[in-house]
Amino acid sequence: MEIRLEKFCKSFGPVKVIEDLDLTIGDCEMIALLGPSGCGKTTTLYAVCGIHRVTSGRIWFGDKDVTALPPQEKNVGVVFQSFALYPHLSVYENIAFPLRIRKDSRADIERKVNEMAGVLHMEELLDRRPGQLSGGQQQRVALARALVRRPEVLLMDEPLANLDAGLRLEMRSEIRRIQRESGCTSILVTHDQVEAMSMCDRIALMNEGKIQQIGSPDDMYHRPENKFIAGFIGNPPISFADGKVEDGCFVTEGLRIELPDRIKGAAVSAGQNISVGVRPEYLRPDFATPIEGEITFIETQGREVLYDLTLAGGQVFRSIQSGEQVCGVGDRIRWGIDADSVFFFGEDGNRI
Amino acid sequence: MRGIRRFLPALFMLPASLSVTLFFVIPVFMTFVFSFTTMSSDTGILGSRYIVSEATIRTLKDGDLDAALVRQLDSRVFAVNEAGLAALRKSNLKPTVVKEIEEKLSGKVYASEKQLFAALKGLSNRPRSFKDRKMVSKAVVQTLKNREFTTPKEFRAGLASIGIEVTDDVFDVLLEVANTSWKWTTGNYSELMASDFTWKILANTAFYVVLTLFFNVGLALVLALVTFYMPSGQSKFFRAVWLIPRVSPSVIYIMLWRWLSFDGGFMSYILGFFGVQPENWLNEFPWTFVIMANGFVGASMGMIIFASAVVAIPADVLHAAEVDGAYPWQQVRRIILPLMAWPILFITTYQTLSLMTSFEYILLLTDGGPGFFTTEVWALNAYHTALSNYYGNLRYGFGATLAVVLVAVGIAMSLIYLRLFDFKKLVAEPQIEN
Repeated sequence: MEIRLEKFCKSFGPVKVIEDLDLTIGDCEMIALLGPSGCGKTTTLYAVCGIHRVTSGRIWFGDKDVTALPPQEKNVGVVFQSFALYPHLSVYENIAFPLRIRKDSRADIERKVNEMAGVLHMEELLDRRPGQLSGGQQQRVALARALVRRPEVLLMDEPLANLDAGLRLEMRSEIRRIQRESGCTSILVTHDQVEAMSMCDRIALMNEGKIQQIGSPDDMYHRPENKFIAGFIGNPPISFADGKVEDGCFVTEGLRIELPDRIKGAAVSAGQNISVGVRPEYLRPDFATPIEGEITFIETQGREVLYDLTLAGGQVFRSIQSGEQVCGVGDRIRWGIDADSVFFFGEDGNRI
Repeated sequence: MRGIRRFLPALFMLPASLSVTLFFVIPVFMTFVFSFTTMSSDTGILGSRYIVSEATIRTLKDGDLDAALVRQLDSRVFAVNEAGLAALRKSNLKPTVVKEIEEKLSGKVYASEKQLFAALKGLSNRPRSFKDRKMVSKAVVQTLKNREFTTPKEFRAGLASIGIEVTDDVFDVLLEVANTSWKWTTGNYSELMASDFTWKILANTAFYVVLTLFFNVGLALVLALVTFYMPSGQSKFFRAVWLIPRVSPSVIYIMLWRWLSFDGGFMSYILGFFGVQPENWLNEFPWTFVIMANGFVGASMGMIIFASAVVAIPADVLHAAEVDGAYPWQQVRRIILPLMAWPILFITTYQTLSLMTSFEYILLLTDGGPGFFTTEVWALNAYHTALSNYYGNLRYGFGATLAVVLVAVGIAMSLIYLRLFDFKKLVAEPQIEN
């Protein structure tokens, strides 16, 4: 079922958290609301499930206007960041809760709960209380409770934030599998770009209550629309440097990059202030456009080594290279940039 | 250094242990001890006292002592001795009269006032008026009645002073009957068991505690939940309003209830508009007013505890219930109330105990009336018995017995509550952390 947000606004008192947000999520699609904390992604999620009232705008589930519908009347499954399990009920009763409220028959409840427990591999946990479960087990109970009544929409608020690294990896693919199997339209709220990119069909990147860009993970990474997106997506992050346009080139102290043909004439004029963004993997000894500077910091990550390269003008570029460390801190080096893969941004922050 | 450290915990506990001992353990123990005595305002609380009173004489007459002896105990003699003469010298009788009495009558003992007066008539400087003769008789009269002796030896001397000599056996009987000080007894408990009033008061207490408990715990829960679902500004206002009974002085609070209910009061005034005759509603429905007055005070305390307990439930748990389809009533029944088991247990236990033991509102409102023992509850009865009653004889021992029973019932009730609410399970189960 398609979810559509039209000109959705949300304020808490005088504070406007979300302004005029438009977003369409296709049937069976899983979309990530990605953004730094405080950008309004959880607020959007709470509005979709109905916990928060919408200040203005409309929310549609398919052809149905659900803007004013209370959460009880929407068939929405929600996994909360804290899991929000009922501490006084057993795992079985936690999962059965939505069905009991719906007054399903006893046999139905038993069948559905056991089926859910089978899907999430927790048959042996059904008698326990939430307090006796590990974080990963609690997470699975929360997921089971959200899915047990076959919701049309599944909303997840940072479902993996409280898990340790190994479990997070495992649950990522687990959640994706279950979402595909159940076929429900899903929204995943996260601040973790890896989570967003690996689990979702599309990403909606939010900042300060606005959606910056919606697209596939590839789009986001390789074709960011503005400086914020380029900076937010990618780990280790992209390096920026300010400079000027001179003779069809981007120029800053210690670096000169020829502008690609598509923007050389039309988009920029000589003397204009622009900035460049270089992802660390496009700065290596073997690329063509020369860059000169001093190594000021090295971080060894095992498979890869991270170098900080400081130019004469003080700008810092980051480079990531596989293999062993090739130089030491304080060395002056001359490496290269892949000029075709760098981004240029105008003074307004948009990509040129 | 190490030695000091070992005793440090005990040292820190010392003030607490001392005050618990001083203000709780010792009073409870003493109450227990007093409950086995006959102490009352008649006997006093000090050691032995021997008095031959009107009551003593009556008891002795019913006993199997020699009737002549009993009459003798009840009698007066008039002995002209040095003490009497000294008193006469200080009086305003003529010194010549006193002097003649001393010369002629010294050492004489008369069995009645009549004989004394006859002897006085024989004197040359005799007292002329009846008033003067009476003064002489008053100075020389000797009696045992209502004189207080603190030891058996003094008592024996007292007997001798009116000319009674008795054998040791008889003396022991007299001593026993004349002893008005308190005695050790288990009679308080058997009296309590035998008395019809006990059952009446016990039924009153149970009725009062159970109904008030339902009233105030129920009202407290309703208030806490209603204010929880209200906008925060309004809920603060309502909670503040409901606290007024708690913070107003009990006398003023009860004055308001009486003003509300008496036949010229607010209720009668309002009901007057509907053609209802004015009435002293407190007399008509004493229990209703007793329960409401106590219930409203208790509810405010429960409301505060419950309101904070509701707020302490993680917001996400209630959000989860909402999206799982639960409407407020279902949230209350399936999530909020089970999660509040502990505060509900606490308030119920606390209120039961405090309702059983506190009586000031009933004392001020009805004082156990109207009529005989209508709203008299156990604690109020203990107070009436031991400290303030119409008959004037304050029975400390019996009052202590009532108090001991109250303490025992209180302890039993708390144990029952802990069992009922499965206390061990409540504290053993960890709650999930958020």
